[in-house]
Amino acid sequence: MVTAVKRKLGALLGVSVLAVGMAACSDTPPPASEDREPLGVNYSTGDPAADSSDEWTLGTTDTITAVDPAGAYDFGSWNLQYQMFQTLVSVPANGSEPEPDAASCAYDDPQTITCDLDEGLTFANGNELTSSDVKYSLERNIAINDPNGSAILLGSIIDDSNPDKPVLAKGAVETPDDTTVVFHLNKPDLTFLKVLSTATASIVDEEVYPANKELADTDEHSGSGPYVLAQYKDGVQATFELNENYAGPHPGIAPRVYVSYYKDDASLASDIKKGAIDIAWRSLSPTQQQGLADDGVAVLKGNGSEFRYWVWDMNEGAGTEAAVRQAVAQVLDRDQISANAYDGTVTPSYSIVPPGFGGQKDSFMDVYGDPDVDAATALLEDAGVETPVALKLGYPQEHYGPNAVDEATEIAEQLNDTGLFDVTTETGEWEQYQTDYKKDAYDLFMLGWYPDFLDADNYLSPFVVDGGFFANGYSNDEVNTLVDEELAETDEAARDEIIGQIQDIVAEDVPLIPSWNGANIAAVGEGMGGVQDTLDPTYIFRFWMITKS
Amino acid sequence: MSSSRGSLPRYIAVRTLLVIPMMWVLLTMVFILLRVAPGDPVTAAAGGKLSADEIARRQAALGLDQPLFQQYLDYLGDVVRFRFGNAISDGTPVTTLIRDHGGATLTLTIGAFIFAVGVGVPLGRWAGRHRDTIIDAPIRLLGIVVYAAPVFWMGILLILLIGNLWPSWPTSGIASPQAIFEVPTHTHILLVDAAIDGTYFWDVLQHHLLPCFVLGLLLAGVIVRLVRINVIQTMQADYVEAARARGISERVVVRDHAFRNALVPVVTVIGLQVALTLSGAVLTENTFNWPGLGTDLVDYVIARDYVAVQGLVTFFALIVVIVSVVVDVINALIDPRVRY
Repeated sequence: MVTAVKRKLGALLGVSVLAVGMAACSDTPPPASEDREPLGVNYSTGDPAADSSDEWTLGTTDTITAVDPAGAYDFGSWNLQYQMFQTLVSVPANGSEPEPDAASCAYDDPQTITCDLDEGLTFANGNELTSSDVKYSLERNIAINDPNGSAILLGSIIDDSNPDKPVLAKGAVETPDDTTVVFHLNKPDLTFLKVLSTATASIVDEEVYPANKELADTDEHSGSGPYVLAQYKDGVQATFELNENYAGPHPGIAPRVYVSYYKDDASLASDIKKGAIDIAWRSLSPTQQQGLADDGVAVLKGNGSEFRYWVWDMNEGAGTEAAVRQAVAQVLDRDQISANAYDGTVTPSYSIVPPGFGGQKDSFMDVYGDPDVDAATALLEDAGVETPVALKLGYPQEHYGPNAVDEATEIAEQLNDTGLFDVTTETGEWEQYQTDYKKDAYDLFMLGWYPDFLDADNYLSPFVVDGGFFANGYSNDEVNTLVDEELAETDEAARDEIIGQIQDIVAEDVPLIPSWNGANIAAVGEGMGGVQDTLDPTYIFRFWMITKS
Repeated sequence: MSSSRGSLPRYIAVRTLLVIPMMWVLLTMVFILLRVAPGDPVTAAAGGKLSADEIARRQAALGLDQPLFQQYLDYLGDVVRFRFGNAISDGTPVTTLIRDHGGATLTLTIGAFIFAVGVGVPLGRWAGRHRDTIIDAPIRLLGIVVYAAPVFWMGILLILLIGNLWPSWPTSGIASPQAIFEVPTHTHILLVDAAIDGTYFWDVLQHHLLPCFVLGLLLAGVIVRLVRINVIQTMQADYVEAARARGISERVVVRDHAFRNALVPVVTVIGLQVALTLSGAVLTENTFNWPGLGTDLVDYVIARDYVAVQGLVTFFALIVVIVSVVVDVINALIDPRVRY
């Protein structure tokens, strides 16, 4: 045994030395992008859930900002809250429209929603859940107004006449009896029901949660969701156990679930590979996905809603010229970006709204078709733009993972190869990067987006209304008007039509260029069931659907 | 003579008082460096999501729009009153962080020290005794390599190696999920709690071994070289020559005369390695997904969490300063010349 170990050690050291030596001496350049074969990951399909389950462990690199729903606006925290708290409505796995959860809700008109709570709902501590708790939960979330919180999503019921001290608008939430909640919105808003399905509208027990203060993470939290938080150790682990008082539509199966927190995906991948955890979810880089699949670990792929895009600086520089923006959109080869920068693990995107959302259409494909250098040349010539056009591309160093540099490099190569552009890339640490792009340091810069809720508007309002949250200088009155219209339109077909119109205009104006849509990926160990079913664009990991046998 | 008798308490008092300007300079540097670095806690957390107006509103809510000097005075005032505040990014009180995660860092560093001393001292002694022989050369080389190799690089290599040789051996985290949940908290030091409770002790200990070994290697490199050179020097001292001349065996000469005296400066230097160990712990914790203060510090630096970083750095600085004062005092007790 010892001899064998020595032999292995010796071999490993020998190979290491040899590899280092070869790497140092080699003068062979890496293959050009067109020579690289996309690796691709062999995704598995996963097993269905069983009727019963052992306890299981989920590993994730997500972090937790707060267990209290008033204090968080991030996937990690929200995923804890989805297990512990009920919301009035919830989006079913791979669905897009909210369905009844703690209540049945419907629009009376674009500014009024009425919800009827289920009878007999209780919190895990035995307290009754009433309409008063619902109103209280929203009221305290808005009043606490945590800088890390998501109260901003409740804008349609907020009175922000004093921006420093927003409150629930008077009469915005009425509770005529214990089981009825009526919302009166301050503007027509057909997305608000979807907001009510997010963790920001988690229903908390008014007898446990203080009105103007958050409960500490380690305090005893009590919700009415399928699981209770049995233990929370910050940055280390959360442990859930079944809520015996749960009376909602999706009871849990596994008696106990552990969530282990990791600092990086290398440790996460290593532990799923050796069986120390049962599921590795959010986030595995394409390289880790590939490695795990090669090692025989089942890597599952579900629909995602991650969106990566490049924003034009339209305040100054080359981006102020429409022909330049259009010419770049004309020659960009998204298939090559996916293949060369992400090993084929992402899907090329041709619209600012990802596939699967109502009204989505591939407007950039409709307008520009396949990459065409001649068409781009014509665009620039017609506009009298001298070539090559100098462009500076910016991307953040680490914030979007190690493949961001590959994406930026791929795009620069593609543009330079046309002879129409002279592209340089620049990067910055996330903090510096944000400062730089706001100061017009780049002509075109990379950003990423996850939606707060599943609605096409969540990809429109933040991006194309008066320069978007990134203030890139884009403004189109027609787009602004259309966004207001789609928010108020009750007829689904008519709304989809308006959303399609906005995408078409954006493809013509090109204030930003969609690059790719990401999937929802998980690696699972032996005996796990139901994981594939919960991998959807909401990125809600529904513990109640998962089993281990 | 009378002045020298009274100088030790005075020396201790002066040395202790010097802690105040040392800490002030350090805290000021931390404050300035954090503010000079681009970004702030709000843009770090939600810069890719919120409008400029909303970011400004949130910054104002956190008092980040106050003049820097005002923020600086507030910060110093809080430190003087031992008020470390709550982390901006997640609201956790810094004292809670230190209480809950300090134990993991403590067991990691103590484990590393035990390994480093247990391995470094005998190897250094052996190499010193056999100077310039076939025994000395590899030990000397080992000392240089393990000291020079970045601790995270060494960690990653060992994770890969152990992962291949013994796949079931844990290479990340402080314990299995079951152990973390089941072991009741008595001291906030998981290894001690597991020992007290009598459950999952091997599970927790197993998770400690590899990180402690890696961090210990860094220290062992220093100790090997230090012990070796001091043994060589004392072996050439007159009193050692005299011992030899009296016919005492070489083994006894080394053990009772050379080695013990060689250890005096080594003990002093080992004490001063606390700072090196803590900085190594930051890297080791990140490599092994270790839930200690080093990991927290990195996370909070990335999040630009001024309050948490300032609190943790102050805590680390206090430890280093206290240890260095204690070492100085011990040094002064051992060697009276230090007092002058």
